[in-house]
Amino acid sequence: MSTSAAVEALRPGSEGATPLLELRGISKEFPGVKALDGVSFAIYPGEVHMLLGENGAGKSSLMKVLCGAYRADAGEFYYKGEKVAINSTADAQKLGIAVIFQEFSLVPHLDIAQNIFLGREPKGRIPGTIDRRRILADAKRVLDMIGFDIDPAITVDKLGVAQQQMVEIAKAISQNARILVMDEPTAALSDRETELLFALIARLKADGVSIVYISHRMAEVFALGDRITVMRDGRRIDGVLPGDVTPDQLVRMMVGRNVDMTYPRNFAEKPGEVMLQVKGLASPTGIADIDIEVRRGEIVGLCGLVGSGRTEAARAIFGADPITGGEIIFDGKPISGGPDVASRRGIALIPESRKSEGLALLRSVGDNLVVSALRKLFPSGMFDPRVSQRTADELIRQLRIVTPSARQMVGLLSGGNQQKVVIGKWLAAGSRLFIFDEPTRGIDIGAKSEIFALIDRLVAEGAAALMISSEQIEICHVCDRAYVMREGRIAGHLSRNELTEENIVRLGMHHA
Amino acid sequence: MREAAVISQPNLLRRIPGVAIVLVALIALFGAIAPGFLSFANLSNVLVQSTILTMLALPMTLIIMTEGLDLSMGAVLTLTSLCVAIVSVATHSMLLGVGAAILVGAAFGLVNGWLVAIVGIPPFVATLGTLGMAQGLSLIVSDGQSVVGIPHSVRDIYSATFLGVPVPIVMALVTYAVFHGLLYHTRFGTYVFALGGNREALKYAGLSPGRLLIGVYAIGGIMAGIAGLLMTARMNSGHPTAGLGMEFDAIAAVAVGGTSFERGNGWLLGTLLGVIAVGILRNGLNLISMPSSVQVASVGVLVIVALFLDGLRSRS
Amino acid sequence: MTDITKPTLSPSRSFLSQDAIQLFYRLLAALLICAALSVLTDSFLTLGNILNVLRQASLTFFIASGLTLVVLTAGLDLSVGANVALSACIAGTVIHQTGSPTFGVAVALVVGGLVGLLNGVMVTALRIPSFIATYGMLWVLNGLTYWYMAGETIHGFPAGFRQIGSGYLFGVPIPVYLLLIFLAIGTLFAQRTTWGQEIYAIGANPVAARLSGIPVARRLLLVYAVSGIMAGLASIIFLSRLNSAEADIGESLTLPAIAAVLIGGTSLFGGVGTVFGTFIGALILTLVLNGMNLLSVSANWQPLVTGVIVILAVWLDMKTRRRT
Repeated sequence: MSTSAAVEALRPGSEGATPLLELRGISKEFPGVKALDGVSFAIYPGEVHMLLGENGAGKSSLMKVLCGAYRADAGEFYYKGEKVAINSTADAQKLGIAVIFQEFSLVPHLDIAQNIFLGREPKGRIPGTIDRRRILADAKRVLDMIGFDIDPAITVDKLGVAQQQMVEIAKAISQNARILVMDEPTAALSDRETELLFALIARLKADGVSIVYISHRMAEVFALGDRITVMRDGRRIDGVLPGDVTPDQLVRMMVGRNVDMTYPRNFAEKPGEVMLQVKGLASPTGIADIDIEVRRGEIVGLCGLVGSGRTEAARAIFGADPITGGEIIFDGKPISGGPDVASRRGIALIPESRKSEGLALLRSVGDNLVVSALRKLFPSGMFDPRVSQRTADELIRQLRIVTPSARQMVGLLSGGNQQKVVIGKWLAAGSRLFIFDEPTRGIDIGAKSEIFALIDRLVAEGAAALMISSEQIEICHVCDRAYVMREGRIAGHLSRNELTEENIVRLGMHHA
Repeated sequence: MREAAVISQPNLLRRIPGVAIVLVALIALFGAIAPGFLSFANLSNVLVQSTILTMLALPMTLIIMTEGLDLSMGAVLTLTSLCVAIVSVATHSMLLGVGAAILVGAAFGLVNGWLVAIVGIPPFVATLGTLGMAQGLSLIVSDGQSVVGIPHSVRDIYSATFLGVPVPIVMALVTYAVFHGLLYHTRFGTYVFALGGNREALKYAGLSPGRLLIGVYAIGGIMAGIAGLLMTARMNSGHPTAGLGMEFDAIAAVAVGGTSFERGNGWLLGTLLGVIAVGILRNGLNLISMPSSVQVASVGVLVIVALFLDGLRSRS
Repeated sequence: MTDITKPTLSPSRSFLSQDAIQLFYRLLAALLICAALSVLTDSFLTLGNILNVLRQASLTFFIASGLTLVVLTAGLDLSVGANVALSACIAGTVIHQTGSPTFGVAVALVVGGLVGLLNGVMVTALRIPSFIATYGMLWVLNGLTYWYMAGETIHGFPAGFRQIGSGYLFGVPIPVYLLLIFLAIGTLFAQRTTWGQEIYAIGANPVAARLSGIPVARRLLLVYAVSGIMAGLASIIFLSRLNSAEADIGESLTLPAIAAVLIGGTSLFGGVGTVFGTFIGALILTLVLNGMNLLSVSANWQPLVTGVIVILAVWLDMKTRRRT
């Protein structure tokens, strides 16, 4: 019997039953961003509940609130109709909620049994010892329950990713989890392993276990889901049954948004000569066959879902990761080597995590601004603090960085101003190709438009930009054209006319 | 159908080659070029001499598994052996001597653990500091002189036999058995693996990594205390610089034995074999009249090579 | 930070930076120790003793200055003492056999630098953590030195050479002049060259430094090599001061050097600290040990006190370090 038929046969009955767990009006705010905004959500026993949404829609925040890792700012939880509190991981565990994250919480050199029962080992006769026979037997029992036939004495580091995932699931089941939250479980699995996982999910359903399943693969959503909830901007948009909706409609629900920003972009200019040519680029970080072209005066977008390889592509072009295939041609000449070579030739990378990769937080604004331009400003090697100061002051003025002085510790600046410092350091270095990885992440509205205005000015003056962003609307408004990546490769290219949010999401999500 | 692990080669097979090959190579080498190496008297002497190192290398294995290091072990050993000497001379009681040594060793172990786990000082700096303190205390307590007049009860420990087996070897074997049980059959041992392999997992399970870590270093201190008894018994005196540098041999033994510095994995038997390898290396070089300096350098080279290979292995 | 369109404030005035404040406190501590000692004992405030302290501090400083650069990159070099010993013994032999002090100096610097370079290679190419790599190197060097000397001592160097360590110029010991020269060079290198700036950047955030275009591996090789060369230099001073060389002269050198660096305010986590701070750290340590000597405290206490000071200094550093 095929997997989908197996699943088909086990769909739950009517929805008149009481939800196992209900969330009402859950909100969670972080400085500058509202991750969850009054989300109400119900999970019924024995169902597979699909959770859909773009990057940043709030799915992972919801998961973390569910398992007690985050504490909700507002809202209530009801378990089987009764009000409960989930303020810690222990609370969530008691309610039988378990989350299978993408980075597993397994200890590599302990065996499966020890991992399943970490902290809850069965006691041996001498106090402090573990009853070896019992822990293996108990583990075997749990593994049998989920249909995973493997020797529990094997150490976890020898298992493949799919098997490790099974151990995580076994761990959750052994803690009597009645609600399992899975975050893209099939992302690292082969087709055959996926089938096995689906069979397991069917078995769990039959036992009355509910599964909240986050996925970007339309095929799974329709094959496995009993109900679908779409999230966007921290809100729950709608809950539908798979039978009542088409994939296109789902996409539109995920993407539709109010336009409340203006983007200062002039598309009138005709792009100049080719500045960057990437052919067949491959890297052990998981990308292959990357062909990209960027011309002077252009802002080229690089889109795709989280994990599609955009950052890896950017890093490979910048030389931050090794290259196993293909070539990069900059300004007509091939380029190879590390970031020191790339930056000297004129390529700049504004990384995704500016705090850990773009700035030295304990150093001053001035120090950070000149760090990439040292060679250029001081070719003899003698550092003149006055020249450095002047350069920094000039950049602060030009970019309108808000700081009491250039000597201020850069870690004390706001996100938007920190980002300006990162961009500023490459301006000082005289870069001509700017690779932006999520340039406006974590930055408030006002600063966002400033950043875009800055990028616009840069390319108008003869530079070129490659921009990674998970906010499709930004890409559509700011970029001349865009490449869409999927699972480490280029899935497609969208010209100016074709550049719509739906097209981006469709290309990024299509699962062959 | 029963599943097999994806990486099906069992761990043991992959590791035996390492230290076993080194051992066999060393035995073959010195058997060939060192006169008297392969005699029963010499080899059993090597084993007896290695017992003190065993007492240090076994807890060092645990410490290294937690991605830490204890540079103070040698100095603490010096101090505890002085404790045994001074207290046993004063009270004529071996038990009181050992008791004092264990207390002192445990104190240093707790200090190390506290500095590393609670204050957050990197292990090598913390233990470098306590090394200085232990070394200083040794000098102060002994005023730079050896302590002599050790009572028979202490001295005989080293030369006595139990059922025909030298007492030090019995002690080492018992220690090994205890550590084996500790690491592989107790909850504490399980958590030691987690301290190195995935400390977060402990927190998710509701345990306290800090307290566990203190315990690991404390065990090191206690073992240094017990080893102090053997040291004083062997030298028949308490000497202010006796054990200095032994931590180095202990680290070498652990590294050669295959315990990795970065992955929370540990192999006690490997450490034991590593101890014997270091002992054989020193003994062999001694027999061909190489000065102790060359011995020390060779052990140093051995450590660097072992670490380099370990780095290669973890990256493949 | 609310109105982002407001133009930036007036150009930066110069005011005391965090670094300067830290240095000030340490200088104050040194002065306090001096004051206390001059009260506690008559023999402290004599010219002879002060010059002695300065000379002693300079010996620690030479080693510690190169070490400062390594620690600035969040690394550690535990082999410096043994490096000094090896370089001294080899250089001493060379001077004896060739009669040429110049050649001896060159050899010392080359040996020291080669050792440093080897340390750097282990850290960058072999990816061995610096404290382990240099710790292993420490023992290798120890062994080599003892084997090389075979228990003997080298005596008697040409008078001109001996001036370096034991001579006086206008009543001030020559090592003190050398101290000032290298303090200037070290400070200049760290604060006024692009390499120095890059070293600070590497220590503050090695990932960001690499992604900012700094050739991190090359700079790390440089700092370890410099640490080794300074050890070589220190060995010359020792040779000329002690007028002899034997295998164990390096044993008691590493801990005070590390202590000087840490007391001086250089953080183990990298990116924070100055060469001048290391000088004050060396001064403070030497003053304390000198005071202990003058107060007839047995020398047996010295390692203990040094160990305690190291831990205190690191603890204070961790407490006061400002993290965002």
